[in-house]
This record gives sequence, C-alpha cells and structure tokens, in this order.
Amino acid sequence: MSTAQPLRRARRGGPGGSGRSRGGNLARVAAILFCLVWAFPIYWMLNTAFKPRSQVMTSTPLFLPRSPTLGNFRVAVTQTSFGDDLRNSVIVVGVTVLAAVLLSVFAAAALTRFRFRGRRAVMVGVLVVQMLPPAALLIPTFLVFDRLGLIGSYLGLILAYVALVLPFTIWVMRGFFLAVPVEMEEAGRIDGASTWQVLTRILFPLVAPGVIASSVFAFITAWNDYLIAYTFMKEQNQYTLPVWLATFSTPNTGTDFGGQMAGSVVFSLPVVVFFLLVQRKLVSGVSAGAVKG
Amino acid sequence: MTDTLAKPVSTDSPGSVLPAAPSRRRRGREARTAWWLLSPAGLVMLVFTVAPIGYLLFTSFTDYDQRSLFTGFYRMAGARQYSDLLADPGFWHALIRSVLFTAAMVAGSMLVGIGVAQLLTRLGRVLRTTTTVVLVLAWAMPTVASSLVWSWLFQPGYGVVNWLLTQTHLFGDLTQTDWANDPTLAYLEIWLLIVWQAVPFIALTLYAALSQMPTEPLEAARIDGAGELRAWWSITLPYLRPSLKLITLMSVIWDFNVFNQIWLVSGGGPNGATTTLGVYAFQTAFVTFRVGQGAALAVVTTVILLGLTATYIRSLLRSGEDL
Repeated sequence: MSTAQPLRRARRGGPGGSGRSRGGNLARVAAILFCLVWAFPIYWMLNTAFKPRSQVMTSTPLFLPRSPTLGNFRVAVTQTSFGDDLRNSVIVVGVTVLAAVLLSVFAAAALTRFRFRGRRAVMVGVLVVQMLPPAALLIPTFLVFDRLGLIGSYLGLILAYVALVLPFTIWVMRGFFLAVPVEMEEAGRIDGASTWQVLTRILFPLVAPGVIASSVFAFITAWNDYLIAYTFMKEQNQYTLPVWLATFSTPNTGTDFGGQMAGSVVFSLPVVVFFLLVQRKLVSGVSAGAVKG
Repeated sequence: MTDTLAKPVSTDSPGSVLPAAPSRRRRGREARTAWWLLSPAGLVMLVFTVAPIGYLLFTSFTDYDQRSLFTGFYRMAGARQYSDLLADPGFWHALIRSVLFTAAMVAGSMLVGIGVAQLLTRLGRVLRTTTTVVLVLAWAMPTVASSLVWSWLFQPGYGVVNWLLTQTHLFGDLTQTDWANDPTLAYLEIWLLIVWQAVPFIALTLYAALSQMPTEPLEAARIDGAGELRAWWSITLPYLRPSLKLITLMSVIWDFNVFNQIWLVSGGGPNGATTTLGVYAFQTAFVTFRVGQGAALAVVTTVILLGLTATYIRSLLRSGEDL
C-alpha cells in the first residue's frame, strides 16, 4: 500500500501551511465562482423540488420558490409505484450488502494473512473484473438468468449485485487488513490461540471499521445501479428506485419536473448521507478503483 | 480447532520469539485455510463474472437472436458476427466516438481537477471547507438523479441553462434550443455532466497528495527566483506524476464505460450521434435483440478494456503497490 500513503489523508493546510497569505483574492474569487457553478445543479434540483406546481415552468425561472411546499414530494411518493419499488430496493440492496461484506471479509483475510500459490493471480483477477465493461457482463448474465428463471426475481438481482460489488469490497477490506500489524496476530499465536481464534478474536475486531466502509460502498453501488435493474426487472412493481426515478411520471400531467426533482432528492438523500460519512476513505481509494460514477 | 500453533523450535533463526519460516507441512495447511476462506467469494466471482465472460465469447460465435430467447435454439455461426461487425459502419463510428469522447471527458475533468486541487491549497479554512463540501455533494449524486437534473437544466422552453445563456445576449434567443436533439449540443451536455461528476474525485485525491508534499523544495525554488508557473512545472508536477498517471488511467477506463448518463440524457441519439460502444452493444443485444452481434461488440469492447486495465495494473505495481 506504499503508494496510497501520500494520497491518504488531506492534512489541514496545504503546502506551506496556511495558504491564505499566498493565494490572495484571485484564488478566493476563483473558488467562489467554482462553487457557484458546481453547486448550481444541486441547488436547482432542490429549488424545483420545493416549488408549487405552478411555479416550476415559468418563462422567467424563479430562483427561489415563493411559498415553498412539500407537494411535489407527496405526489412523487404517493401517486407512483414508489412504495413497491422502495421495498424492492431495500430488500435487494440489504441482502447484497450483508452477503458481499461477509464474503469479502473472509476473502481479504485469506489474501493478506496467508501465503499461498496463486494469491497474486487472485488479486489481479479482482482488479480486472472491477474494470470490465458493464455490457460485457450483462449480456451473458441475462441469457443464463433468463434460462434459469431468475429474471424479474430478487434472487437474480441480488446475485448479480453481489458479483458486481465483490471486487471492490474485497479490495477495501484488504486495505484494512493490511493496516493491522502481523505482530498482533503473532502475539496471539504465541499465547496459544488457534488460527480460528486469531481471526475471530484479534483480527476481525480490528478491521471492524473496514466492515462499515465496505458496507457503505456496497450499499452505494447497489442502490445506484440502473443498468442491471433496468434490464432484469420489467414490471413496474418489480422496479428498484433508480428505474422508478428514470421512468418517473405521474398520472394526468406531461413531464412533471417538480415531481422528478422531488424524486431525485428522495433517492439521492441516503447516498449523500453515507458519502459524507465515508468521504475520507473515498479519497484514499485511488488504487481501489474508488466508487464508480 | 486442532491446529493450535505449537511453534516448532527453529534452527534457522536462533533466539527469535516469532514463528520462523513455516515448515512445509504448516505452509500446506495455511494454503488450505486460505483457499477455504477465499472460496465463497471466489465461487461467486467465478460463476457470475468469469464464466459469463466465457459464455459471452461463446455467444459471439452463434446466431443467437430474438427467437432464440423464446425457443432456446441457436446455431453456431463461426466468425460471421465479427465479419459483420467489421463491415458495419455503425460499429466503426461508435468506436471512434468512444475514443474521442473518452479523450474529451478525461482531458476536461483532469484539467479542471488539477486546477481545483491547486486552488484548494491556496484557500483559507472557510472557503476550503465550502469547496470540499460542494465537491463531495456533486460526487455523491447518483448518476440517474444527476442525469434527470441535467435534462431539466437543459430542457427546451423552461430549462434554466437556456434562459441564463439567453440573458447574456451573446448567442441570441436560446430558450427553445433542444440540446439532446442536436448532435453537437447533446455531446456538450453529456460532457458537462461527466466532467461535473468526475472532477471531485480527481480534485480531492490530488489535493490529498499535494498536502503531503514537502514544502522545502518549493520554498527553495522561490528563493532562487522561480515564478509560480516555473516552480509548479519543475517541482509540483513531477511530485504528482505517479498519482496523475493512475488517476488518468482510471478515468479513461471509467469514461470509456459510461452508460447511464448517455442513455438517460440522449438515449444515444439523435440518430445515433451519441452512441458509444457500450450504448451500441446494449441496443444491439437488448433493443433489437441481435444478441450474437451484441456479444461480438461486447467482446471487442472487453478486449480494449483489458488492454487499458493491463496498463493500469502495470503502473499500479510500478508505483509500489504490492499485490
């Protein structure tokens, strides 16, 4: 992990301590401009989501809603298949996270704590799988799952998601295992602990933060997936939330941008919260392939 | 648990309390435990990623189509899917588009990302925190949500971007401009979306690298009278080079694989103008159901990506990452 070291943590204060003296006004103006541009799409999503229906489409856009309302949220949640699709998402993503994290803890322990032939080959395989084009996996998986009757079922989606997130969760867990000094285990062994005891009593408690980090990564990837769910789940009551959002429409209206933006807020909120929680870990994820956009 | 690790008294490291190089028998046992631990994850990856790639290759040599989906019947077609592919101008256009589009997206996001990382080192605490929060928010937006937001921002008639551009009086009245239905503008719209989402990772990672940079060389260069640009070019850039290389390679792989944003913003249109290899493979296999042909397309895409991934892994290893 030696390269990851310099990238690991953003220390407070850039090179040369507080850059306040050196950057000057130009840097400040540039930063403010950048923030305005980059925050604008998010601001516009929120602004639209809280507008009453009549203020969403106006020839001169309103930059703040007059009399903000939750009406769009109410419509998005009650007049669509949101309930069913939320349940689908929660079940599929929940099982995926549990399974993927459990499997990757064992795999990472094997890859960091044991010498065996083929270890490097497995690591390379993990990296390669992570980079494969989505369509390349989607086509054969769809054909096989179709034959097995797994299309349109929770199980099919869960299996596809576990395979999707495993390379990355293994890689994240591996980083945490590597950070635990081998001496701690050796001390345990000297005290007469068995391999199993070394794993469960010494190693696993120390890598618990890694379990949290990789759960979050697995959650974000599975929660956000659109392509696989879109291909596998054809009925509206089978959709997961990304498919629900992408096909968003409410009865009796044209495109309902207020509802769409409210839906986007609802769907993005858990991801944003989790993202803020693990932000630091994400930055150190360069070598891991980080979270895919 | 029978394997209590009674440590063999070793002869080759006298005086050491640590277990010495394991005996052959212990090493064998270690390998067995390792494979047991690895097997559940390994099995899932073998069955659901390695085997499918094999099956993809097989499918690309068949005439699998819509009828086969219902009947399960298909014939071997030799290399016909591949010769069809090479003769298909749509394939070549998609390939060229993918390469050019990836280059444009990577160049755009790297340039802005480097700039923002540099900017972050020059800010006081308040602005730095604000910028970081904005970056993380943009990064965290799920692609499906951001694609919808984009379509709304650029919507003809009531889209706020068209309105803002019209207010500048630089381009005339743009309120009715339909970005997603114009080949060039659809690209521009998607490009902006990808850059918007890619910059945070690049900027924050490079900023983390920059904050670890020793300050003495830069100060020495200033004392020697080097200007900001000169000092950046000959000191900061070489320091960042390993990180830059990895991030660039990773961005190339990601951007080559971009699907959701294109699919949701323009659907690959107008008239296939934004159809990249991934979109083309998806359309061929899942919209027109020429599955064999789609498989051949996906195989070609995979080969290209394997080449890129090999380069990435090589530079990962060279940069000192120990697998």
